[in-house]
Amino acid sequence: MKSIAIYGKGGIGKSTLASNIAAFLGTKGLKILLVGCDPKVDSAINIIGHRITPLLELMKIQSRPPSESFIFRKGEIHCVEIGGPEPGIGCAGRGLIVGINYLLENLNVKDFDFIIFDVPADIVCGGLAIVAKEGYAEGVLIVTSDEFTSLYAANNICRGLFSLKVPSCGIVYNKATSNGLKFVRKFAEKVELPIIGHVPRSDGFINAERMRTTLIEILPNSEVTNAIISLSLNLLKSDFRKIPKWLSMEEMEGIFSENS
Amino acid sequence: MSLIIHPRPSPIAAAMYMMRDLNVDVIVIHGPSGCCFGPARLLEKDGVKIFTTALSDREFIFGGERRLIEVLKKIDAIFNPKLIGVVGSCASMIIGENLKKAAEEAGVIEKALCCNIHSGYGDNTSGAIEVLKEASNIGLITKEEYERQKKLLEMASILERTRGTARQEYIGNYAGDNPDEVAREILKVLKEGGNIICVLNAKKETAFVYADIMLALAQTSVKFLANIDPNIGLPRIREYSKEILRELKEKGIEISLITGGLDEYPISGERAKEILLEERPDLAIIAGIPHAVAVEGKIRTIAVSAGTRASYNLKSIGYDFVINEENAHRASLGNRRIQKSILGESIRRILKE
Repeated sequence: MKSIAIYGKGGIGKSTLASNIAAFLGTKGLKILLVGCDPKVDSAINIIGHRITPLLELMKIQSRPPSESFIFRKGEIHCVEIGGPEPGIGCAGRGLIVGINYLLENLNVKDFDFIIFDVPADIVCGGLAIVAKEGYAEGVLIVTSDEFTSLYAANNICRGLFSLKVPSCGIVYNKATSNGLKFVRKFAEKVELPIIGHVPRSDGFINAERMRTTLIEILPNSEVTNAIISLSLNLLKSDFRKIPKWLSMEEMEGIFSENS
Repeated sequence: MSLIIHPRPSPIAAAMYMMRDLNVDVIVIHGPSGCCFGPARLLEKDGVKIFTTALSDREFIFGGERRLIEVLKKIDAIFNPKLIGVVGSCASMIIGENLKKAAEEAGVIEKALCCNIHSGYGDNTSGAIEVLKEASNIGLITKEEYERQKKLLEMASILERTRGTARQEYIGNYAGDNPDEVAREILKVLKEGGNIICVLNAKKETAFVYADIMLALAQTSVKFLANIDPNIGLPRIREYSKEILRELKEKGIEISLITGGLDEYPISGERAKEILLEERPDLAIIAGIPHAVAVEGKIRTIAVSAGTRASYNLKSIGYDFVINEENAHRASLGNRRIQKSILGESIRRILKE
C-alpha cells in the first residue's frame, strides 16, 4: 500500500492531477482510494461524474454514517469527499481533522493499493496539515508551475514539511513550458527534491472537466496522458524518504535571477 | 511577563461577573457546554440565569451562529429578559463567530450586551473591561464610569503581577494558619492593651463574608477601616455597601474611615496602608485583598483571603499570619446579609473560652 498527500498553491491543478492519477492507476488493476479534503468537494467529480455527498455533510445529520453512504466507486477507484463548512463560516481545518479521523476509523486502508489525499492549498494551519503531520500519507507530492507565487507556495510547503519532519516524494512541474523548466529545476535542486513529473499545459483538462471526466479518458494517446502515466509510475516507485529543505526570501528571489 | 504555569482566572468568567454587576437577567455562553461551568453555577446562585449554546465539533466545523440565534430566541420567548449578556468562548471566537449579528437576527439586539472574549485574552480583567466598553458603547454606563473602572481594573492586574498570584511563574498552595490560634493571638494582643486595626479591603460581594470579622470584634477596642463607600461604583455594588453599613450600624459598629468603594480595592488598599503606617498598631487584620495593603514587614499582620494559592502567596511575601477563607466567594453569592466567616467564628469561639 502506498499513500500520498498532494499539496500546492490554490488553483495549480492538484484536484485535476489527483483524479487523473487515480484514473490511470485504476486501469492497472490497482485498488485506489481518492480522498478529497477540500470543502469545495471537487476532487471526485471528474471520476464519478457528479458531485458526491461529502462525509461531513452526512455526519451533520447522522453522527456515525455507514461507510457505504460516503464511499463512491467507479471500477477500482473508490472516492470519498471529506467536505467542510460553507464559505466564510466555521473551521475547515477542524472539519478535516474530524472527517479524516472518522474515515480512518471506519475504513481499512490496507485494503487499498494506492491512496491519494487531495488537500486544499498549502499548509496554512494545523488542521489542513493533519494528513501530512499525522502520517496518514506516507509522503507529500508538491505541485507547482513556474510562476513565482506558485514556487513561493511550494517553498512554504517545504518549510512546513521541514518543521513537521514529513518526507516528500518530489515535485510535479504542472502547466509545464519549455521556458519555465529552468526555474522549477533550480528550485528543486535547492530544496533537494526530485522533479518526478512534467505535465504540460493543455486545454484537454478544461474540456475533460466540462464533460465531468478525466483527460486520460478523452485523450488516451496524447502527450499529456503520457506525462500523467509517467508521473503515476514514478509515484508507484517512490520511496518517500526525503525531507525537503526550504529557502529564504533572498534565495527565492535568486531563482529568477539570471546570475544565480 | 514570564510564563505563568499555574491556572489563572478566566477573562470569560470576569466578563460574566461584570455582566452580573450590570444587572443582566441572563447570560448566554456561546461555547461548549462545559465552558465556564464553575463560574456559571456560582452566578446562578446569585440569581443570574446562565445558558450555553453547547457547541460541539459539528458547530466548530460548520459554524454555530444559527445555534446562538435559536438559543437567544428561545430565552427571549420563555424569560422575556430586560438585558441579555452574550459572551464568547475560545471555540466560538477562534472560528470567527459574530455575536452581534446573531443577536440582531434573533431580534434581541436592543437588549443584548455582547462581549467578544475568550480565555486566551490574557489578564482576566480584560474580560471585564471588554464588557464595560460595550456597556459604554450602548449607553448602559457613562464614558466616565467606563474610564474609572478600566483604570481600576488595570491597576488590579498590575497588583496581581507585582504582589498577587501572577507575580511568579509558579505559586504553590497553602491551607492557611490555624484560625483558632490566630484568633487567640488577636485576643492576646487586646488583653495586653495593644492596638489593633481591622481593614476591610474587599472586592465587591466578597465583603459580605469578610465583614463578619468586624461583627465578631464588635465588643472590642479594635478600630475599623473599610472600603464600603455607598456612593461609588455601579448601582448594584453601591447596594452591597449600603447593606453592609446598615448591618454594621445595627450591631453598633462604627467605621473609623471609609477608604473607598467596593470596586476600588487597589486604591483603597493604598489609603489603608498610609493610615496603618501612620498609626502603627500592634496588629493589623487585613481582609479581602490583603496584598493591596503593603505593610508586611513593617507592621505585624494577619492577612485574610480566599484560596490556598492566595494563602501561599501572602505567606511567602511576608504576612505574619494567613487565614484561608476558602468559601468566601461561594458564601457571598446569592444573599445581601453578612455571612459567617472562618476567622469570625474562631474569634467568637475563643471569646467564649
